[in-house]
Amino acid sequence: MEKKYKSSYFAHVLKLAVILVVAGGLGIFARGIFLPETMGQYGHYRGSDIQDQRDVAIRNQTNDACFECHRPIRLIHKAGVHKTVSCEVCHGPYADHVKDGKVIGKLPVKRGMEIKELCLRCHNKVIKARPETVIKVVAMPQHLEEKKVQITHNCNQCHMVHDPLLWVRAAYEMAGVPMKEEKK
Amino acid sequence: MEDMKQLQEEIHRDRRGFLKKVLAGTIGGSLLMVYSASGREIAEQIPGMREEDTVFTKKNFIFIVDITRCIGCGSCCIADKNEYNVPDGNYRTWVERYIIDDHDEVFVDSPNGGLDGYTKPRTDIPYPVRDTFFVPKLCNMCEKPSCTQVCPVGATYKSEDGFVLIDEKRCVGCGYCIQACPYSVRFLHPVTKTASKCTWCYHRVRDGLLPACVSVCPVQARKFGDLNDKTSEVYKIMREPHIISVLKPGMGNEPQLHYLGLRREVV
Amino acid sequence: MSAVAASGESLAAISNFVFPNDLHVHWSLMIVLYPYITGLVAGAFIVSSLYHVFHIKSLKPVAQFSLLFALAFLICATWPLMNHLGHPERAMSMMLTPNPTSAMAGFGYIYSAYFIVLLLEIIFIFRPTVVALGAKATGFMKTVYTILAIGSDNVSAKALKLDHKIISFLAAIGIPMACVLHGYVGFIFGGIKANPLWATPLMPLIFLLSACVSGIAGIILTYIILMKVSGKKVDIECVQTLIKFLWGFFILDFVFEMLELFSHFYMATHHWHTLEALYSGPLFTTFWVYQVGIFSVIPFFLLMAMSLIKFKDGILLFFAPIVSIMILLQVILMRWNVVVGGQLMSKSERGATTFHPMWFEKEGIAVAIFIMIAPVVILWLIGKVLPFWQTEEGTETA
Repeated sequence: MEKKYKSSYFAHVLKLAVILVVAGGLGIFARGIFLPETMGQYGHYRGSDIQDQRDVAIRNQTNDACFECHRPIRLIHKAGVHKTVSCEVCHGPYADHVKDGKVIGKLPVKRGMEIKELCLRCHNKVIKARPETVIKVVAMPQHLEEKKVQITHNCNQCHMVHDPLLWVRAAYEMAGVPMKEEKK
Repeated sequence: MEDMKQLQEEIHRDRRGFLKKVLAGTIGGSLLMVYSASGREIAEQIPGMREEDTVFTKKNFIFIVDITRCIGCGSCCIADKNEYNVPDGNYRTWVERYIIDDHDEVFVDSPNGGLDGYTKPRTDIPYPVRDTFFVPKLCNMCEKPSCTQVCPVGATYKSEDGFVLIDEKRCVGCGYCIQACPYSVRFLHPVTKTASKCTWCYHRVRDGLLPACVSVCPVQARKFGDLNDKTSEVYKIMREPHIISVLKPGMGNEPQLHYLGLRREVV
Repeated sequence: MSAVAASGESLAAISNFVFPNDLHVHWSLMIVLYPYITGLVAGAFIVSSLYHVFHIKSLKPVAQFSLLFALAFLICATWPLMNHLGHPERAMSMMLTPNPTSAMAGFGYIYSAYFIVLLLEIIFIFRPTVVALGAKATGFMKTVYTILAIGSDNVSAKALKLDHKIISFLAAIGIPMACVLHGYVGFIFGGIKANPLWATPLMPLIFLLSACVSGIAGIILTYIILMKVSGKKVDIECVQTLIKFLWGFFILDFVFEMLELFSHFYMATHHWHTLEALYSGPLFTTFWVYQVGIFSVIPFFLLMAMSLIKFKDGILLFFAPIVSIMILLQVILMRWNVVVGGQLMSKSERGATTFHPMWFEKEGIAVAIFIMIAPVVILWLIGKVLPFWQTEEGTETA
């Protein structure tokens, strides 16, 4: 009665088991090949990434880096109340200007009403959130009216942007009037 | 001061001519030729960093944001965008403006992350303003980061020196870390298609420079330093009885980013 | 703040403040589909197990089909994920370097293991059929059947007895695996503490229950359609049993969905204020109106009536597909409201963003429709090789 089969009754089970074992083995083998070399060196991550992170290009330098070349501005900038203002915030990053000790590009210089915009980023009194103990704020155009200058005046007509009080101080000196100390 | 004297002399010699030249940029232009060729003379901002030769730094860096000093100028945002060419609409750091009126309603905004500065006052506040201030935001560098916990492949991790970093070469761009970060400092970089975020400028720090945002802040509202160094400003701040807190302390992430003068309304 | 939020009229009104990086919804349609598809898989597998393990005899007509249905959808489960990844070419890193602390890292292994179990179960269950078909087939199809029979032609009583033992074992481990696969998908969301909508221990349970619900509904729908199309007689008892199970699972599913929300509401932590703004604002229509109002309440009562009252066959067969479609929509709405809804609230706790999928974009509606049609096509292709339904001579000696 029993039919004759070519395969044994457990042949397929055996074959499946072999397939699974081989697939598993191939998986382990592939893992060995594709695993990043420094994986797990310091933790569950690619250890050599630490060096990759350190190799990210520095694009902003310090003001001192700019002053290496820009001497006269250095003298003015470092002497004034704007000494903490970063060159690169207004002019753009160092890396766009100098590469390997060579000038590779010209950085923008703000002109005209861009300057006023720039000044008001920090000094605009209408933004009440600015702590006045930290920054001198002015209201526009009241400040111009108060100082008795034309309302169309740009900030840098009185304030040298790198040292806002430079010309003001000089003007007082020339006039022989002592300058009132700014209340801080 | 030597520089000062020199400057005074020069100004007195030919005040008008000098200023004109400065404004025209001619002096600056001619001096461009005499920059130093070595390129490695710029003083380090973090003392002793360049002597270190270990894989990880031994310093214990923390970041303090003093919200009583921030003027919302957005210099930090500009520097950050410049440092990393951050694509528009994504923010490694940003500055929020808080306005609390006398009915305890809180209004917050951050137009373009503060990158363009704050130019307009808010006109939609119904009651008199009780308190208003700026809050700069950046990576919290958690002691117990939830982003590294969820990363399926170990592409984002906390280094031994406490920096939470992202391996761009391994990130699969699944976005799970973005979901997990309670502070929303992460975003999917549209160019690299990987997760991205503030690193406290790890590359700069290891090179002895301050993070770009700290370096450019005109009012020292952002402070970065070594807590192991008893002479550092951050150490002094942390040991004095200031109001110091972290964001969302209930999350249990234990940020290494501390806020000085933090109001309870800040999330 | 919540007063502003609750008005819900315009984006400006609901968005007091959204963190600048929270304006983008990173997990979009693809991640809505992913739990939906795995849910259909898990649910269909449960239907099959009800017959194979729990011996619910009336489910015999769909027991085989459910497995093939599960397989077709399981094949496509990774498609939305691969389409979503920023770097799909690195997807294998999940298997290569799974992060032990990551809820997501297990997916590769859990998915693969489940795939193997399902495939093995299908191979063993269909072996006698495959051998019989292979004997008649010629050319290419003969090769296909030989491969499917794992090169064995032995269907002796002894061989089938061994097969049956293996089938019972696979089905038995298949149930917890189906539960793990889908409960785990729920945990991927439930484990995210930064998101108050997701972060609840009920999330895996809700996902699992809605998976069962969607799977059963999917089987009812396709079974009735396929029978009608091929002009075969629908097994009424089978449909009645499926409807009863659907109702049972749906009671649990819906109750837990509402309980989760109610707990949030009752505890009223600061999270609730954010959630309240979300549910009354951007999610009002998709959650309250569609998911709860139309596609939960109506099917709930329909299912109750169909389970408790003995309707005429014609009425049952008219309402069964309708209620199944409604349930399938309820579940996809639930996936949408959880996955997208959770991301609409900003972690600023002060506002919400909006999200409208586009038709033609990388993760757009067109691609979503394609991915949902693909398993149906695959199922049709499978149907060319393996019979969906057990015929009289389709020997299963068990």
